[in-house]
Amino acid sequence: MATATEAPRGAVAHPDVGSYQQVNEDVLKILGRPGRGWWILFGLASLGLAVFAGSWANQIINGIGLSGLNSPIGWGAYITTFVFWVGIAHSGTLISAILFLFRAPWRQAVYRLAEAMTVFAVMTAGLFPLIHVGRVWHAYWLIPYPNSRFLWPNFKSPLVWDVFAVTTYFTVSAVFFYLGTIPDLAAARDQARGLRKKFYSVVSLGWRGTDSEWHHFGKAYIFLAALATPLVLSVHSVVSWDFAMGIVPGWHATIFAPYFVAGAIFSGVAMVITLAVPMRKFFGLEAYLTNKHFDALAKLCLLTSLIVLYAYLTEFFMAWYSGEPPERGVFWNRVFGPYWWATWTMLVCNGMVPILLWFKRVRRSIAALFVISIFVNIGMWFERFVIIVTSLSHEYEPFAWGMYRPSITEMGIVLGSFGWFCFWFLLFTRLLPPVAIAELKEVLPAPLRSRARKEAVR
Amino acid sequence: MSGGIQRRDFLRVVGASGAGATMFGCSTENVEKLIPYVVPPEEITPGVATWYASVCGECPAGCGIWVRTREGRAVKIEGNPEHPVSGGALCARGHSSLQGLYNPDRLTGPMMREGDGFAPVSWEDAEAQLVERLGAAGGNVLLVTGSDGGALGHLFDRFAEVTGGTRVEYEALSEAPLRAAARIAFGRDVVPAYDFEAARFVLSFGADFLETWLSPTAYGRGFARTSAIDPMGSKGRFVFVAPRLSLTGQNADEWFPIRAGSEASVALAMAAVIAGDGADAGPYADLLAGFDLDAAANAAGLSTEEIADLARRFVAEGPGLALGPGVSGQHRGSTGANLAVLVLNHVAGNIGRSVHLALPDQAAASPSYASLESAIGSMRAGEVSVALVHGANPAYSLPPAAGFAEAFGAVPFKVSFASALDETARLADLVLPDTHPLESWGDSHPRPGVHALRQPVMRPVPLFDARATGDVLLSAANTLGQDLGAGDFQGYVRARWQEMGLAGGDDFDGFWREALRRGVVLSETGEEEDAAALLAPDPAVGFDVPSLDGDEDGLALVVYPSSRFGDGRQANRSWMQELPDPVSKITWHSWLEVHPATAERHGLREGDVVRVSSPHGQVELPVWPYAGVREDVAAVAMGGGHTGYGRFADGNGVNPMALLPAESEEPSGGMVHLATRVAVEATGEWRKLASIHGSGHTQEDRNIAPAVALADVGQAEDEHDEHALYELQEVGGFVSVPADGEPGDFPLPGARHGEYDPETTPRWAMAIDLDKCTGCSACVTACQAENNVPVVGEQELLMGRDIQWMRIENYFETVDASHVGPVDVRFTPMLCQHCGNAPCEPVCPVFAAYHTPDGLNAQVYNRCVGTRYCANNCPYKVRVFNWYEYSDVPEPLNWQYNPDVTVRGEGVMEKCTFCVQRIRDAENHAVLEGRTVPDGEVVTACQQSCPAEAIVFGNIRDPNSRVAQITASERSYRVLDDLINTQPAVTYQRKVTFHEPAAAGH
Repeated sequence: MATATEAPRGAVAHPDVGSYQQVNEDVLKILGRPGRGWWILFGLASLGLAVFAGSWANQIINGIGLSGLNSPIGWGAYITTFVFWVGIAHSGTLISAILFLFRAPWRQAVYRLAEAMTVFAVMTAGLFPLIHVGRVWHAYWLIPYPNSRFLWPNFKSPLVWDVFAVTTYFTVSAVFFYLGTIPDLAAARDQARGLRKKFYSVVSLGWRGTDSEWHHFGKAYIFLAALATPLVLSVHSVVSWDFAMGIVPGWHATIFAPYFVAGAIFSGVAMVITLAVPMRKFFGLEAYLTNKHFDALAKLCLLTSLIVLYAYLTEFFMAWYSGEPPERGVFWNRVFGPYWWATWTMLVCNGMVPILLWFKRVRRSIAALFVISIFVNIGMWFERFVIIVTSLSHEYEPFAWGMYRPSITEMGIVLGSFGWFCFWFLLFTRLLPPVAIAELKEVLPAPLRSRARKEAVR
Repeated sequence: MSGGIQRRDFLRVVGASGAGATMFGCSTENVEKLIPYVVPPEEITPGVATWYASVCGECPAGCGIWVRTREGRAVKIEGNPEHPVSGGALCARGHSSLQGLYNPDRLTGPMMREGDGFAPVSWEDAEAQLVERLGAAGGNVLLVTGSDGGALGHLFDRFAEVTGGTRVEYEALSEAPLRAAARIAFGRDVVPAYDFEAARFVLSFGADFLETWLSPTAYGRGFARTSAIDPMGSKGRFVFVAPRLSLTGQNADEWFPIRAGSEASVALAMAAVIAGDGADAGPYADLLAGFDLDAAANAAGLSTEEIADLARRFVAEGPGLALGPGVSGQHRGSTGANLAVLVLNHVAGNIGRSVHLALPDQAAASPSYASLESAIGSMRAGEVSVALVHGANPAYSLPPAAGFAEAFGAVPFKVSFASALDETARLADLVLPDTHPLESWGDSHPRPGVHALRQPVMRPVPLFDARATGDVLLSAANTLGQDLGAGDFQGYVRARWQEMGLAGGDDFDGFWREALRRGVVLSETGEEEDAAALLAPDPAVGFDVPSLDGDEDGLALVVYPSSRFGDGRQANRSWMQELPDPVSKITWHSWLEVHPATAERHGLREGDVVRVSSPHGQVELPVWPYAGVREDVAAVAMGGGHTGYGRFADGNGVNPMALLPAESEEPSGGMVHLATRVAVEATGEWRKLASIHGSGHTQEDRNIAPAVALADVGQAEDEHDEHALYELQEVGGFVSVPADGEPGDFPLPGARHGEYDPETTPRWAMAIDLDKCTGCSACVTACQAENNVPVVGEQELLMGRDIQWMRIENYFETVDASHVGPVDVRFTPMLCQHCGNAPCEPVCPVFAAYHTPDGLNAQVYNRCVGTRYCANNCPYKVRVFNWYEYSDVPEPLNWQYNPDVTVRGEGVMEKCTFCVQRIRDAENHAVLEGRTVPDGEVVTACQQSCPAEAIVFGNIRDPNSRVAQITASERSYRVLDDLINTQPAVTYQRKVTFHEPAAAGH
């Protein structure tokens, strides 16, 4: 990833950032008084959140029948969106933990953003199984807790594994996220006044930046990174087993775990791009999120896109090779049946559009990347839709084939979930330093003694 | 498990003595108490079912029934096994009788007209009004009633007599042409009785005897017995000759898609061929000798050779049984058509063998439209002062052209005895709601020598202040100073039975109690009918193909009785509305059947709404392309399009009678149904059909409903195939291999099923013989009644949320209207397969789906969270979900709920339980009596109801059980067994076809 001749291999220079102090100023000014644009976005997100909450409340009161689900299609937009958000969540830990362990320095500029996205995406995803079940008031039965009825969940069920996977992932990624922000929160504390100062004082846990603090911090960080790393692979593998453990034609495939993990990283990286581009613009972070960072993200995107495309082709091949009518029928139906549009959306958005990323000019164009990332976001939602809905609609029993169309309630909840996500994300941009101040400084050239300016020590 | 399943109840057929029945049977006083059972009624033990024998009132067939009551409420109807008509089975409409009893649209009391609406009135005032009007009518009284061959019919006649009026019997589905033909042919005024079991070659000229014709339950049983393969490997043949393939036709082995109305030509041509081969045609010899075969063949659209071949096979493969055209084939020459079929039966030697003409014990006439036609005339002419209507709804079931509504409106005082408002009652001045048949006394004499009693099985539903019409008429006659011999109708029935002299001794009270307990009394019949001789032909009766109204290039309109609604009287029942039509699988609304080629010619797709116009009217309804109608035919079912019959009926579908002329046939006086051609044009609208069918009626190369050719039965070449497959598997396996394990091998080696003890616990299993199943769908409604299966409504069905635990899948392997040939429709009742390796169980996160210690695949509703993973993972798609609180039904429909079965709430999965409540009941009973459960004691609701006796249930681990023995048949297979190793407990026996089934369907 060496791109600039004067920088060491793997490092991405920030030629436009002059000093440590500038970092503090540039980043912490984001936490200042929000502009009108932020308020508009926050208003929109709150509106989405209201739609989300209202639709869900209505569904709880009147019944899960408000969805468009039916027999045989018992899973639809809710599970699609659940997998979508879990997938989104994956790139955050990948970028912060795995790339940290592998010492890829380009992560420093984007990892805070990616981690926040992870936490909020898991928070969003975790709601969808609750939204989906018929009796949400009994959903806690999936949690193993000692009870007077001596009833435990069925540990054979992938849905129980899901509960563990998602809760574990949320816990670890939230702790990891919080730990990484502590030095930056201290930096914010030092600049803030009034109520904000009190808030940052509490959440920065009295960080002073001493050597011993940095020492412990470094150890904790690397341990947590090591702990989070396997989760990147395991959580989405478990999510994929929700399907692969079923005998539904189109689900029952051994390729599902790696296929889903690649897809998750693919969609997550795309979402990072989608979020980073406007942030860079609105908050004037051009000096920190450079073309080179986006170039690196785009390469990751391209790699995972190829893996995903390979998985698609493998699935089609295996369906044909199995020789079984139900298996073949499902895949034929995917491409040429009534849901052809969803399948082709998926193939075009995930398999064909990312081909453009082979071109350096595209990778270096922020606008092009933004557009492509939107395509990938859409395509990855449809990938899950195609896997879930087209398979269920065309199973073993021809008499029981069916069609499904998401209802207004489902659309309200699915779109509203973006409101819920953005609500938290926008709050994040105003409350926590969205770019990691301390880590950025690590990759800046050390300040020269000859300069008269006082350096920021943190 | 809920407490309900644990609860004990005992099957106990309790004699309802007069006293007992009075106490809890027929009191009309409202004696509702806040604290019930301070003084417990003798008849009732809480938690224990009481059974009463009675007679089904849904159609004139008169099936004997047993009604299960719990705590004084009727909850389930089953066939009375001692009754020769039902033989223990019951059709779907019979089951729905409960919804007639608990119909929320029933009137809460008598109603008097007030302006455009009705106002409640007390029974005293209402009856006083009736008596006053009758007294003032001066004999101008018209009594329009349904057909009732028992005491009620007798009372109507007597009442008409004493009031000086006339009684007109009217049934929309009338067998008048058949009776007229029997009179002309043999001089006997009877509807012939058909003995299917005596026949080996059944030939139906469009009679839908499995659906509505005469006595569908009895005929369904007889047909299944003769047409299914027997242990000797022989199988009766069934040939269907009609322009439309009804459900009955779909059960045929061959179909002769003849031109509409040409039955007489084919039947006489066959008779001529048989007579030409030397059979005795009696007085018809001359007519048959001179019969122009070619012209007849031409008229029917067949070749002479095809008819001759059919005729010779009909005799050679006999004994034969030819059945006259049914209601849908009643045209302007239908007496001739029925006569031709009787002549064919005679020439083929079937009279006295499979066709019986015994005179009934009580003479009754077939209701004909002609008599109502003249009554309409006199009403219009102002000759009627008081019109009374009971058990008939002519304002709905007659074509508007008959002018009934207008003529009826001209009558100064009109009284209806409808228990809920219908189209006719809405025109009346006074409505005196009758009690439901399950709350009433009555009797029926469906066959010579068969006498059945109807008794109230519960106190009339207290929400509805109804009074038995028999009681009302008796009291009115009494007030008018006429003594009809009894104070109330119960006494009237009893007196009639005393007169009939069936008791055979002095102890009439004892006989009466025993008759009530058993529900049916069989008496000796003279067998003199076999001597019935053919009379000389009546020159007035012609055999030509009748003319049809309308454009020559239009489609001949076939209007057929619905197997769900009959003539429309069962339309206000949510069970019937939601029961998928056995042919189209459409629910709730009407559809037009046209041939796919015709649809293409008119540019129509499935669901296109078309305007169907005849010279007499027009209707709009969606198209369902169906290869089972001729290209020159369009078909619509009766029973839809009610305008004032109740919440479940109104606005659903269309009434095809609007397309028909009001015309009676000569000489029978029967209504003409096949009368017109129609033009079909698209309206540009489209609607989704509320069908439960997901694919194009094909199996898509899957092993769902395979068949075996009769010639291959006993060849058992399967083993050879399997061997080849195993060899292939050893070299790497490019083909799927049949799974190991027989249905009785449970649990499989290596499988763990908790507390299951293979030594002592049973494995409950079911065998369904697809060679017997006729697709009639009685089991679907039986299951719905037994297991509190809710009704979801048309909107939910359109979304694909059907919730019935059983569905009858119908796969159209060979259905071709273009020429004579084999028919192959495979019916597969699909229910939970209770798999040994159930895919639903491991995926449930909370153990709501689990295997019981005795091997059932159970669903614990209380534990269900509603993830629906089990339904996704069920390859048979038999798990259904409560998307809403479907069990909320209008009072008192909820009174029908079976107290032994949980009523499911919103958000839980449900499915077939193998009637676990019945299993537990039998087991508890056995434990109390210190014995084991013998084979055959556990009978599931579907099995109990099946007229074709296609379903057998039992413990497959017992090698002597019937289910184990049937499962051992070489025809047995398990659905999808070669694809997924689910080890179902349900085995199916392949349908047996005369032709070689197509390879695609296995």
